[in-house]
Amino acid sequence: MFKAKIKAETLKEVVDVISALVDEAKFNITSDGVSLRAVDPAHVAMLDLALQKKGFEEFKAKECELGIDIDKLKDVLKLAGAGDILDLEHDEDKNKLILDVGNITRRMALVDTAGMSDPKVPNLNLPAKLIVNTNELRRGLRAAEAVSDHVALIASSDSFEMVSEGDTDSVNLKLPKALLKELDCKENQKSLFSLDYFSTMVKAIGSTPEVTMYIGTDYPINLEFDIAEGNGHVKYLLAPRIESE
Amino acid sequence: MGVNISDIVPKEHRSLADFKEKWIAIDAYNTLYQFLSIIRQPDGTPLKDSKGRTTSHLAGLLYRTTNLLEAGINPVFVFDGKPHELKSDTIAGRRVIKEKARNEWEKALKEGDLEKARSKAQQTSQLTTEMVESSWELLGYLGVPCVQSPKDGEAQASYMAACGDVWAAASQDFDSLLFGAPTLIRNLTITGKRKLPRRREYVNVEPEEVKLEDALNSLTLTREQLVDLAILVGTDFNPGIKGIGPKKALKLLKQHKDLENVMEKKALSIENYQEIRNIFLKPEVTDDYEISLGEIQEQVIEALLVDEHDFSVQRVKSALDKVKSERKQKEQRKLDQWF
Repeated sequence: MFKAKIKAETLKEVVDVISALVDEAKFNITSDGVSLRAVDPAHVAMLDLALQKKGFEEFKAKECELGIDIDKLKDVLKLAGAGDILDLEHDEDKNKLILDVGNITRRMALVDTAGMSDPKVPNLNLPAKLIVNTNELRRGLRAAEAVSDHVALIASSDSFEMVSEGDTDSVNLKLPKALLKELDCKENQKSLFSLDYFSTMVKAIGSTPEVTMYIGTDYPINLEFDIAEGNGHVKYLLAPRIESE
Repeated sequence: MGVNISDIVPKEHRSLADFKEKWIAIDAYNTLYQFLSIIRQPDGTPLKDSKGRTTSHLAGLLYRTTNLLEAGINPVFVFDGKPHELKSDTIAGRRVIKEKARNEWEKALKEGDLEKARSKAQQTSQLTTEMVESSWELLGYLGVPCVQSPKDGEAQASYMAACGDVWAAASQDFDSLLFGAPTLIRNLTITGKRKLPRRREYVNVEPEEVKLEDALNSLTLTREQLVDLAILVGTDFNPGIKGIGPKKALKLLKQHKDLENVMEKKALSIENYQEIRNIFLKPEVTDDYEISLGEIQEQVIEALLVDEHDFSVQRVKSALDKVKSERKQKEQRKLDQWF
């Protein structure tokens, strides 16, 4: 059983986070809220999302799974204006999700969840932790995208740096400790990432002002941030590119 | 070779860079024959090692495959299996042509006409079991996957493209379209400067992309009708009707819908047409393949090419280095290894 009301803005945040990696996903619903884990088709990135009951305007549910085509949710969200609230209800007999936006009712066929597994989140023990301003990060990525398709993230005891080297040009963004909300890094750490993935993920962060990053050397990055005014939390993992030899 | 419908099919010019990070299934026999035909000395003699064994195919594979890998393209080579019984006439015909060309090549050599000698020599290309084996071996060392097709390599490549395991099938023939490849790439392995036959002129060859859907839309035919058209014009499995070219066949099919009607209205008969249709529409293919790029085994490649077949060590090294520098920034890891 699942019956809820949610702000269009909140649902949009959720949809943006998911659609950065996958086209369809299995929403695990319990009486406490909604959670979701997914790995992108290339197995390069994964996401772990939790949205508490408090993130909804109203929420009544018993344990169930909903397989949802994210593009369809996007379509419905396009119908919503600012401040609109969507009604969601699972029609168990027809296995559809009924969404009401104003006077529109969309009866959305659900995707079979049989083939969708719940991936395990690896335990990574990443040695550097830092909290960065989301807009600074976006600016750095915009600069990097102009010269290359990959970016190195480098953490040291006194700064965080993004370095992107193209065939002819290079770009770097250096944020000293003073400009970071938190920096906990004893030894230098450096990993290289595909800008394609990393930028898409950072774009999906939405309006959250700060993002927490955990970085190692030639290790995946763990990107964490809140959504739904602190009532939801997202964890992204992205595998690195590794320069051989 | 293959059906001649080049004139009526829309094509787009592309560059290798457009295929970055895409998987392409390459018709191996078609490609090897091209190498054997093109990579020759001015008098038409193929490249040979000190033991007299032909190495044109290995040279082609080394330089062309590394070119593709350098461009970030992921190739899979698909090898022909046993040819279909109906192809035996075509194969016998090719044998006669080769025999004739071989005589003319020798004659031209005696007369000192190098241009003619080279062009005749190109028609004598023969792919031996040994060449196929060494090609397979080299591709393995280059980390490039190979697939054995039960019958036609093009059919298998097209099948892999149709299932989405690869993005496109690559061949010079248009048969891939008949076999249902949604995207066909031509000139993939011969991109660059290419000598025009019998002339001291060079043209710049660029890859071409042909989309099955666009081709069918522009011809306003279904794939089934395109196959019927090919049968009228002639395929590797039947000689076709004398006096009917692609344009006339197109007109006939639009007018009469299918081959049966065309044959009835025009009082034609084509032997085994139903079977030929099936060769294209329901080809024998296999799901027994894996496509992933492996490591480049530099030392083994050098042992094969330099020690065994007398390639220059510098040229082999520089070909492999191109790929290595591309790979360097390319190794996107999967999360799986940290799970």
